[in-house]
Amino acid sequence: MAVLLLAAVTVLLVVAPGLVPFDPLDQDLGALNQRPGSTHLLGTDHLGRDVFSRLVAGAGTTLAVALGGAVLAMLLGSGIGILACASGPWTEAVAFSAIDTLRGLPPTLLALVALAGLGSGIAPLVAALAASFAPLFAHVARAAWRREAMADYVTAAIVSGAGPTRLLVRHVVPNLAGPLITLFAIVVPRCVVTESVLSFLGLGSAPDTPTWGRMAADASRLAETAPHALVAPIVAITLVTTTTALAGNRLRRRADPLRSAL
Amino acid sequence: MSLGWGLAGHAARAAVQMAIVLIGLFSLFGALPGDAVDVLALQGDLDAGQMAHLRTEMGLDLGLVPRFAHWSAAAVSGDFGVSQRFGQPVSGMLMEAVSTTLQLAALSGGIGVVLAFGLILGVALQSRGAKIAVGILNIWSIAVPTFCVGVAALLLFSVHLGWLPAVGSLVAPVVILTLDNAGQVAKPLAEEVAEVAVRQHVIAARARGLPPLWIAWWHILPLAAPVGVALSGIMVAGLLAGTLTMEILFGLPGVGALVLQGIQGRDEPVVLAGLALIALAVIGINALVGVIQLVLDPRAAR
Repeated sequence: MAVLLLAAVTVLLVVAPGLVPFDPLDQDLGALNQRPGSTHLLGTDHLGRDVFSRLVAGAGTTLAVALGGAVLAMLLGSGIGILACASGPWTEAVAFSAIDTLRGLPPTLLALVALAGLGSGIAPLVAALAASFAPLFAHVARAAWRREAMADYVTAAIVSGAGPTRLLVRHVVPNLAGPLITLFAIVVPRCVVTESVLSFLGLGSAPDTPTWGRMAADASRLAETAPHALVAPIVAITLVTTTTALAGNRLRRRADPLRSAL
Repeated sequence: MSLGWGLAGHAARAAVQMAIVLIGLFSLFGALPGDAVDVLALQGDLDAGQMAHLRTEMGLDLGLVPRFAHWSAAAVSGDFGVSQRFGQPVSGMLMEAVSTTLQLAALSGGIGVVLAFGLILGVALQSRGAKIAVGILNIWSIAVPTFCVGVAALLLFSVHLGWLPAVGSLVAPVVILTLDNAGQVAKPLAEEVAEVAVRQHVIAARARGLPPLWIAWWHILPLAAPVGVALSGIMVAGLLAGTLTMEILFGLPGVGALVLQGIQGRDEPVVLAGLALIALAVIGINALVGVIQLVLDPRAAR
């Protein structure tokens, strides 16, 4: 299911921009808030822009922001987490008290604060998402480090003279991949949703770069006159988040069979 | 480690975390490209001399560190300064907003806990329906943005059916937040319960022919309680983030709405005080959760 959806989205990204009937930014002020029909497949929004074209154009930005945020969060979080653990208990304690402070605060709020400080746009959006979700990855990295550092084969490697770098690269990082990928699949849908919430709060992408979140946010203010402009992006968001969330659950079940009796 | 040391440790950690958050907030909002004088200037064109005078009056021309010292000292005594846009004391504005947010958060948190507990009891009783409900609620809370549900609810209940007023009613936001929150909390709890349910003492209890409700209540749920307590921190954080969206959407004058308006109007004292208050709530509750965990399970002190 998730693979199918990914394939569909990839096709959408590669093929569709050439096929969409209208420019996603073109305003047709003679055709505002039109219902779905034969000319406009999914209707037009409050500025007369073709909803279907915007949906296709927005797919790339939406996924780029969500994936970018999640990848950056993974690199930042696990990198800092591992380095802090590897450089000794004191550094670990200091780094993780800062990380825990961030982790306690809700991601939406963190991203909101970051965006308020950085200004809005695609790059700050990715940075804000990364900063909000990085603490989760740091914790997974620490848990994996602790588990691996106790393992017999690591002790054996230390006894036979392996330095911290070798331990890190050869023994800990390969064992991290599983839990990190699992968490990644859990974080991606949350990034998509957080992006849409931030757009709704007026802190998302610029008006000329349509993302699904921004489309939903814009349409939500005029939902009474043009509900179809709201339904389309919400269905798209829900489809992607649901499948990635389900895939994440399945990955987690595979990684942790004991916890998956459910 | 004794309980006393554990308590002191949690208090110290909460204080350090609060300090980190405050310094972070202050450096972020002290470094903003525009300030309230720019906004006022746009609204009622001021000349350069008047702008400079206003900045001196508001203390915006001082350096970051003296401003932070001054702000923290005043904040401790409950004085959060004066709103740069409205000229009112921030503490008064905050007090009004807190009651709305508290109502919203307490109602949805309370009902959410009851709902989650009911579902968990169902899972402990090996009910298949409860397990499915937990799964669906979890996917719902992950996948569907609350503001979309909110818009749908507004359309259906306020516009088409006319059952609820569009502005100021707590019913729809409370229901939406409740479902969202229960979904986030019930899933990990249900997993913990499912794990406890296959342990040997539970199998032994079942073999002895004890009634399922008895087993669920005395043999399964107490062992899942520490996880439940740990999750309540996440729950409060989720509630506070959720109230923000709901306040904007349903026109409720809460802390989240106040902060967002402050951000849009570059009203630094309001933003700082609002965010500091939210951070204080989250950090305080997390510390409390840590203490409760310590009492429930002294091994957690490590």
